[in-house]
Amino acid sequence: MTSNTVVTHRPAAPAAGPAATAGAAAGTVARLIRAELRLALREPLVLAFVFAFPVVTVLVIAGAFTAEDAPDFGGFDPAHWYVSSYLAVIIAAVGLVMVPVHVAAYRERGVLRRFAAAGFPRWSFAAASIAVGVLLTLVGSAVMLAVAAPLYGLPPVDSPVLTVLAVLVGAVTFTSIGLLIGSLVPNARAAQGIGLLAFFPSFLLGGGGPPPSVMSAGMRRAADLLPLSHVTQSIRDPWLGTGTGSGHLAIALAFLAVSALGWWRAVRL
Amino acid sequence: MTDPIVQVRGLRKRYGDRTVVDGVDLDVHEGEIVGLLGANGAGKTTTVECLQGLRRADGGSIRVLGLDPAVDGTRLRSLIGSQQQDSALPDRMRVAEAIELFRGPRSAAVDGLLTAFGLAGHRRTPFSALSGGQRQRLFLVLALLNRPHLVVLDELTQGLDPAARRDVWDAIRALRDGGATTLLVTHYMEEAEALCDRVVVMRNGRVVDSGAPSELVDRNAPWATVRFSWSDDDVRGWTGLPGVADVRRIGDTVEVNGDRTMVAYVAADLVQRGRVPTDLAVLMPDLEAALISLLTSGGTR
Repeated sequence: MTSNTVVTHRPAAPAAGPAATAGAAAGTVARLIRAELRLALREPLVLAFVFAFPVVTVLVIAGAFTAEDAPDFGGFDPAHWYVSSYLAVIIAAVGLVMVPVHVAAYRERGVLRRFAAAGFPRWSFAAASIAVGVLLTLVGSAVMLAVAAPLYGLPPVDSPVLTVLAVLVGAVTFTSIGLLIGSLVPNARAAQGIGLLAFFPSFLLGGGGPPPSVMSAGMRRAADLLPLSHVTQSIRDPWLGTGTGSGHLAIALAFLAVSALGWWRAVRL
Repeated sequence: MTDPIVQVRGLRKRYGDRTVVDGVDLDVHEGEIVGLLGANGAGKTTTVECLQGLRRADGGSIRVLGLDPAVDGTRLRSLIGSQQQDSALPDRMRVAEAIELFRGPRSAAVDGLLTAFGLAGHRRTPFSALSGGQRQRLFLVLALLNRPHLVVLDELTQGLDPAARRDVWDAIRALRDGGATTLLVTHYMEEAEALCDRVVVMRNGRVVDSGAPSELVDRNAPWATVRFSWSDDDVRGWTGLPGVADVRRIGDTVEVNGDRTMVAYVAADLVQRGRVPTDLAVLMPDLEAALISLLTSGGTR
């Protein structure tokens, strides 16, 4: 730039009326979703964890059991039981590992303050994060099912509407929990530690590890306290036809409400 | 003069038991570059955060562009172009992507802005690969992108080397020449003197003086020094001249200190003696000297 450059500056007329304001907010969220998706796709380690970890672990654990173990899995083929459970593992990977680090890093670097100062509505980043969380969950699920299908076959879906609803509620709930963790921790490194600390017990007790029938009473009680257990069962029950999963869905929604209230009221996103 | 774009009266803000802004008044008129000056912790950033509605004031009144930031914060911020202290972009975000993200429906011509700020060749460069000066220029582009009615720049040149700082100054001058109203928060006096039409000086949350930089210098540092080589021992001739406070000899150099009128009398005396030194220098205090004098005197407006 030279000292005789002139940047002609004509202030824009303000947007008029609530419709224009609502349109601008919708545009902001759409742009944030695009940007966040692009950035997520440039994080190879995070992508590997979200997409590869559930696929590898479901292949290992589903292959570790045979049809003779079916009684421990409520009479279902263990591979089918795990395939229907592992969508929740992807949900947990997104919500407990990816989102907290992302939010904490944005807070640490002042990116969220930049969004606020640019007039982005307060809820817009959370809305975009949830949209991206759901999209990545759906893509991760598709990848896992595509890999598992030729090896183990996919269990028939007893209630597709309830199953899809449970996946969507689970993804939104865990992204919201991730937003809360990322909003409370001091920095991205702490978010990574706490996220992994929350992820692995959830993974092992909440659907990705041994079936509840082989767990001790204490482990089952601990599993019942974990949000992921309820998300897993809210998906698996309507999928395998062992129930509607509505009770677990209600508990997942309660976790969603509490976590959303947490980051909305207590924390400036 | 028309009503100010920014009108702050009696602004107060506390963090716990600590009062960080204590009764600040501030006006910014259309087309002005106003500098908010003070040491770290003086309350400058909190003040501009309150007037953007990013923090809620504990007392006083704020009107910015006719809006109350506490009530219409989101709408107000869409009319302000803001560069915040210590706020970055994601490392992997490219220049063009940042522009796409922050670009509203009423934006300025992007190509023109990128060219004006020397970033036209960096559209695909990730934020992490930009130099410090390029990052600050990108922040300026983003601040101007949606044709704001007010530009708020908080410590825009902090951490830059002198060359990069001057590069950013050129950018702000270009902005001023284009007619933008700007509130510039800085603790670099040289920056304020180079860029601002008016400065407001804060200390411990209060405004201690305000005015054009030259007015602050006149008010708080009304002295001057004349320095020249002089081999004769007798320097007493100048002590009696009007305005002279003291005369010092340092080796072969003489320094005459006093008020500004003294300069004319000393120069006239040298001419009269027929010995005008070739290294004659007149040293005038700058804004930094004025502010040091002001801030160490304990004065309040």
